[in-house]
Amino acid sequence: MGRVIALAGRPNTGKTTLFNALTGLRQRVGNYAGCTVEKNEGSFGDGPEKADVVDLPGTHSLLPATQDERVAFRFLSESADQAQDLLVLCVAEASNLVNDVALAAGLKDAGYPVALVVNMIDEARQNGILINGALLAEELGMPVILASARHGEGLDDVADLIRPGPLRADLTRAIDFRAAQTETLRLLQEKAEAEAERACAAAVTLPGRAFLPTIERSIRIDRVLMHPAAGPIILAATMFLLFQALFIWAQPLMNLLQDGLTAFAGGLRHVIPAGPAASFLCDGAIPGISAVVVFVPQIAILFILIGTLEQTGYLPRAGAMVDRALRPFGLDGKVFIPFLSSFACAIPGVMAARTIASEKRRLVAVLLAPLMTCSARLPVYALIITAFVPAAFRPLGFDGRGLVMAGMYGFGVVFALLLAFALKWTSLYEAHPSPITVLPPYRLPLPRDLARYVWARCRHFLERAGKVIFVVSLGLWAMSCFPRNKTLLAPIDAQIAQVKSGPASPEQAALLQTLTRQEDAARIKGSLLGMTGRAIEPVFRPLGWDWRVSVSVLASLAAREVFVGTLGTIYAMGGEEGSRQGLIKALRDAKNPQGLPRYPLGTAASLLIFFAVALQCVSTIAIVRRETGGWKWALIQFAVFFVMAYGLSFAAFHLVNFLA
Amino acid sequence: MTLEDAGFNVSLRIEAVELPDAAEKARLSGVGLRAGAAVVKIMPTPLQDPVSCKVGAQLLAVERRLLRRVRVVLS
Repeated sequence: MGRVIALAGRPNTGKTTLFNALTGLRQRVGNYAGCTVEKNEGSFGDGPEKADVVDLPGTHSLLPATQDERVAFRFLSESADQAQDLLVLCVAEASNLVNDVALAAGLKDAGYPVALVVNMIDEARQNGILINGALLAEELGMPVILASARHGEGLDDVADLIRPGPLRADLTRAIDFRAAQTETLRLLQEKAEAEAERACAAAVTLPGRAFLPTIERSIRIDRVLMHPAAGPIILAATMFLLFQALFIWAQPLMNLLQDGLTAFAGGLRHVIPAGPAASFLCDGAIPGISAVVVFVPQIAILFILIGTLEQTGYLPRAGAMVDRALRPFGLDGKVFIPFLSSFACAIPGVMAARTIASEKRRLVAVLLAPLMTCSARLPVYALIITAFVPAAFRPLGFDGRGLVMAGMYGFGVVFALLLAFALKWTSLYEAHPSPITVLPPYRLPLPRDLARYVWARCRHFLERAGKVIFVVSLGLWAMSCFPRNKTLLAPIDAQIAQVKSGPASPEQAALLQTLTRQEDAARIKGSLLGMTGRAIEPVFRPLGWDWRVSVSVLASLAAREVFVGTLGTIYAMGGEEGSRQGLIKALRDAKNPQGLPRYPLGTAASLLIFFAVALQCVSTIAIVRRETGGWKWALIQFAVFFVMAYGLSFAAFHLVNFLA
Repeated sequence: MTLEDAGFNVSLRIEAVELPDAAEKARLSGVGLRAGAAVVKIMPTPLQDPVSCKVGAQLLAVERRLLRRVRVVLS
């Protein structure tokens, strides 16, 4: 029988912060309801004291209304089924105790072993609230610990509470929430609220003022940030600055990384003897991986800014501000957090949709969230924009590349809204269902939490991209080396041998360099990769893509960021002009046999649009399948988005070329 | 009067939340919107709906259609 500590409580009471403090894990911490939508698991202690710690999604009442609330109650009921040695550690916000204690009282009445952690006690002190922990424990009939998980206060007491075992084994009389009647739960909730009010009246002394200082401060900030005129401008400016910062702050670091990795590959070429190993490392693995690594600064900056917005408590307010504007599209403010999370990665975004109570609206959010510009699109956009939008393009003094990037983010949002509008005339539409959003007090983000969050996201990006890209690079390198087409290579090899036999001179070196590039190009042309690319080229030619781009897009159907690595490998293997100086320069300098740019502006536009719309992410498809309970919606979503991506890219290619 | 009719920055107390669905009412009660709770309408969001309200010791953005169903008295 395992020992299990389940962290339960209302949303945004600091459960995940406590979970991180107890387990040392680095779960995402945010200042809004619904930050944890799936249970997270870790462990506490060693040997016989060892306990599994489970961070459950927040629950407002004993009547689960949303998918994430059901996860919490299902877990408790399953623990009772399996006769786990369970302790429910209810986490309550000290400044909002009367609301938060009801859940603890209710779970105790439902037959579960409960202890209460009164969290954010430091904030309550600042608010002038006095809590008598011993009296509260007596009134509620459960252990009570006053703590501040953020600042480490009271954590030793929490550890002492959960360390001794067994915790409690008897769950035989616990209510099964999965099967309980709504009326039973309603009565339980009513009773729990009455108990909470009585206990708090006895043990909590509130300051003699109508507004707590934290609430007063939040209202003062809201009067600026949610001002009828200034509010929307601040929201738009925040989003705009975020995307400008991605380029302005990240570019020097990206250049530094690119130069370092290029020098590393160059140095390796001199150390490793020429042959398959050197070719694989210098032309396959390193260009592929470095093409992704250079985008880490942008990813880090994106998450520093998103993490700051999350932890301050601004996000739910932004959701409330856009709520009414979204209603004509059949959406509401509840989609703001799933959509914004999807800017980081569609997976947490799709999962965050669990906080939406209406099943149909949740499905719409799941289907549309992947249209937000996720971090995997960022390297692709950054590559194409940096390669094709000149640095000198500075309309109104702004960085033109940043504007195009902001435009791509805007495109994703607008396209999702248009699709949502179209879905209003389908069976997926449901009238606006959610009448309340909790606006948490504004809090300063802790640099430690922010750093952990950013590090976790960057590591996730590197691990995911790194693994996939390494395997893909290996496959691509093999495909680009074999088979060797002797008919194509023999004349060039003969020419090289002839030049080499002549006297050494600068002209000879230059000619040798040109011939070596021709040999590389011929080798890749005759290889399996070249043949595959040319076989699929006719399908994508109407979009302005050559075989190199077509192969890269095909490889990126597994994960978008693979596109950059694949193209990097192809250009490195093909020995293209400028490829040794990085992919961006290679793309910029690439010429067709007529000496004209290989990729006109229309190609760049069609690629951007394709990546904005197509669902090239196996992980997202898998999570959509899980969240919708089958393959139907996942496959419909993939097919529809692919067809739309192709059509829109075709239009973009021809329109931009016409205008250019 | 309803919370919709009440003025801003006036201390009020919720008399009743009039919803036909008892389960929905219990859920809102779990969020803090229940009879007896102290409430102050603070400010509308830029598009006038929802409205920011202080309910108990927390701030909630409450849609106007729900404000019309919350009966309040002066505190």
